[in-house]
Amino acid sequence: MATYLEFIQQNEERDGVRFSWNVWPSSRLEATRMVVPLACLLTPLKERPDLPPVQYEPVLCSRPTCKAVLNPLCQVDYRAKLWACNFCFQRNQFPPAYAGISEVNQPAELMPQFSTIEYIVQRGPQTPLIFLYVVDTCLEEEDLQALKESLQMSLSLLPSDALVGLITFGRMIQVHELSCEGISKSYVFRGTKDLTAKQIQDMLGLSRPAVPIQQGRPLQTPEQPAISSRFLQPVHKVDMNLTDLLGELQRDPWPVTQGKRPLRSTGVALSIAVGLLEGTFPNTGARIMLFTGGPPTQGPGMVVGDELKTPIRSWHDIEKDNARFMKKATKHYETLANRAAANGHCIDIYACALDQTGLLEMKCCANLTGGHMVMGDSFNTSLFKQTFQRVFNKGFNGEFRMAFGACLDVKTSRELKIAGAIGPCISLNAKGPCVSESELGIGGTSQWKICSLDPSTTLAIYFEVVNQHNAPIPQGGRGAVQFVTQYQHSSTQKRIRVTTIARNWADAQSQLQHIEAAFDQEAAAVLMARLGVYRAESEEGPDVLRWLDRQLIRLCQKFGQYSKDDPNSFRLSESFSLYPQFMFHLRRSPFLQVFNNSPDESSYYRHHFARQDLTQSLIMIQPILYAYSFHGPPEPVLLDSSSILPDRILLMDTFFQIVIYLGETIAQWQKAGYQEMPEYENFKHLLQAPLDDAQEILQTRFPMPRYIHTEHGGSQARFLLSKVNPSQTHNNLYAWGQESGAPILTDDVSLQVFMDHLKKLAVSSAA
Amino acid sequence: MAELYVKPGNQERGWNDPPQFSYGLQAQAGGPKRTPLTRRAPPPPAGAPPGPPPDPGSAPSAPAAASPPRALGPPPLGPISPPRAESRKPSAAASPEECSVPADTVLAPLREALAACRPSVQKQVCDDIGRRLTVLEDAWAQGKLSAPVRKRMSLLVQELQQQHWDVADEIHRSLMVDHVNEVSQWLVGVKRLIAESRSLPAVDGDTDGSAEPEPEPEPGQEEP
Repeated sequence: MATYLEFIQQNEERDGVRFSWNVWPSSRLEATRMVVPLACLLTPLKERPDLPPVQYEPVLCSRPTCKAVLNPLCQVDYRAKLWACNFCFQRNQFPPAYAGISEVNQPAELMPQFSTIEYIVQRGPQTPLIFLYVVDTCLEEEDLQALKESLQMSLSLLPSDALVGLITFGRMIQVHELSCEGISKSYVFRGTKDLTAKQIQDMLGLSRPAVPIQQGRPLQTPEQPAISSRFLQPVHKVDMNLTDLLGELQRDPWPVTQGKRPLRSTGVALSIAVGLLEGTFPNTGARIMLFTGGPPTQGPGMVVGDELKTPIRSWHDIEKDNARFMKKATKHYETLANRAAANGHCIDIYACALDQTGLLEMKCCANLTGGHMVMGDSFNTSLFKQTFQRVFNKGFNGEFRMAFGACLDVKTSRELKIAGAIGPCISLNAKGPCVSESELGIGGTSQWKICSLDPSTTLAIYFEVVNQHNAPIPQGGRGAVQFVTQYQHSSTQKRIRVTTIARNWADAQSQLQHIEAAFDQEAAAVLMARLGVYRAESEEGPDVLRWLDRQLIRLCQKFGQYSKDDPNSFRLSESFSLYPQFMFHLRRSPFLQVFNNSPDESSYYRHHFARQDLTQSLIMIQPILYAYSFHGPPEPVLLDSSSILPDRILLMDTFFQIVIYLGETIAQWQKAGYQEMPEYENFKHLLQAPLDDAQEILQTRFPMPRYIHTEHGGSQARFLLSKVNPSQTHNNLYAWGQESGAPILTDDVSLQVFMDHLKKLAVSSAA
Repeated sequence: MAELYVKPGNQERGWNDPPQFSYGLQAQAGGPKRTPLTRRAPPPPAGAPPGPPPDPGSAPSAPAAASPPRALGPPPLGPISPPRAESRKPSAAASPEECSVPADTVLAPLREALAACRPSVQKQVCDDIGRRLTVLEDAWAQGKLSAPVRKRMSLLVQELQQQHWDVADEIHRSLMVDHVNEVSQWLVGVKRLIAESRSLPAVDGDTDGSAEPEPEPEPGQEEP
């Protein structure tokens, strides 16, 4: 029998699913006593090079409220050509095409190794992908030049039949007509007045006699000269003109007097972009890509006034209810995000500026639509340029890693209901027998829409066990969940990915050790963290921390081994051993602490946390630390101040930053130039090793992280010092017999103190 | 065959800007990897908190390396034990590509290809391509193009002549990504020329598998 660790890993690789519990408590009451909810991290489009899609339609259960897809868990009567749905127990006839099936001649979807299967289906005409660039021209010359070049470059990376459009904005908004003729025309809008979708479409001349709108189909086929084609044209037709048009873009010509911010009409520009696509290509994959170099300063969606003497809102202003424009602006962008999402369009935000740009107010545009959010200092940085390039990365099979317009449908066995989801999605408000009344995250539905996703996009899905206490273990001894993801592949094919998984039920009173052994503490940490971060968006920070602490204490009370009121007796089994330390680092993370971060930065960090897969999410919660020394090969070391030693090089990955830190002695050796001497070539290699490893991470990570090369005593060593557990501080330094590690100047509690308190509270009979 | 190099980020404009990888390296990144650095140090046993306990008597959990003396000695000599297997050396490949290609060996075939397109492609498009070839010619004559660009353009033209459309397209893409500031004005014309030439009806059987008679140019999917 394989270990649970192997089982968990195998399931993640095959199905893209990690459950908090891999043996399920069989009653509602017992499940709530487990503290960590029954939930999973789902990567709907996880890359499966070994899984060729099949070219036919899935077979569905005939019960209208079920419609589950035929899967390996279904019971099949080969002689009568019947199958029983494993969710609703309906008996179904196989369709005529399945007449030839038998025990030895099974269709792929019945084979156990196809618990995840992908179908290519032919439905409706295929429409090309659409990319609409919305470009801020209130930039410094250097930034605008760099951005123009990046945009020109992107024309070579887009699929050649993709439709592309261009809107530029500053004080005014220009919607550019893209024709193959030499004359460039544009429609100019004022940035101060919001327009309805109807008005925008009228003004752009997109209105036409009512045509019944069909789902998944543009209003006109690209062949016939269409209205929208003035603004959205295939790349291969307009690439030359668009290259020139981009090359000729000038900075916003309106004068900006001293002490003022440029007037930037981001709100209306986005509104026009959303309206343009809404009117021309509803329900087909499209990306609105907003490139902005500063905060919106006029019209609907403005975040700050144009007076430079009034700074943009800070956390302090927000707490004091002193952020004048925040609520109204947020509402404006939320409305736009919801409209875009309803049409299956996504909005990316590429914000490059040294000051805040209003990501806090605009975040919903990316968060609700599955768009990217990228934050940089300038468009003329490798951070922006390469991050932007990677949007167009291709996967193992040479296909773009982007997919559009996904609908995730979750089905459960009767004993299980769906409480909600957290990720880059919106609810489709699909009520049904599977939907729980209690909500975790975006609840009240069994279907969500994800307008844009890639192979690493990961949703957290929360469940509720509804089986009554003392009721017998449900029929078959196993519960099942099916995830059905319909989406538009980057090749514009319509595809359906189906994953069906089952786990054993166990009686929590008599079989607690089984449940305990099957706990996935990594998944649980990320799932709880997503709940915490989701709450932090609407609740006060301290309340969220208190909630997390309470959950942790309850979990330790439930699963720790201890004698009452004796903290020293407290032990956690191996499957729980890392969990408290994940929670410790989560409490300190920028996802829950806003200190030292601007509201924009917090929004940025949280955006990425709510969509990455388990491995990346864990790196964000508790950064990875590797040590390089003469004492052996590089090894992972504790994220602890005791790991900072003079004769070591440390490599820390926090997801957003890659830090290389030279210990004191190493730094001195380097300054002395030993790496240049042939006899010390081993030292040269030692210096090089972490650089090579860092490069490997930098080469693939999206978005591109910042790269910090520092040493003992360097000012940037703070990035490392602020992340490690402060086990040695100026307060307890003298308690140490010898000097080892690096004391951190902080009054933060260390993991040791945290654990001591946790143990005390967990074993306390008063709690 | 693509350029493989890493250059430093723009520290002037971006705080801790990461290094920039060439197109070739980025494309490679999907390939086999060393073990990803995702492991964590195991926590100390028996539920004890990680890190040294706050008890001065016990030894810290750090490796028992002798703490270095205050006075700096040299690093230990010894057999070279590279901490990581050196799987590749990206930065070494950045040696300047010497190139003395005359402009005409690149431009003449491009103009030839353009002439071949004239009968079947819109005049306006052809003129536009022609205009861009002139820009290229001028830039080349004025010495505005760096050696790698000239070198890769001559490679591109060779592939174009052999009707290896996908390879030519891939070279165009790498040029666009790595040298956009030099090439953005005219390379799009070459790109268009590749697409138009590819969609011309095949003249003889000398085409490779990637040539498609259909008018719609598929994006070059296969990596060369």
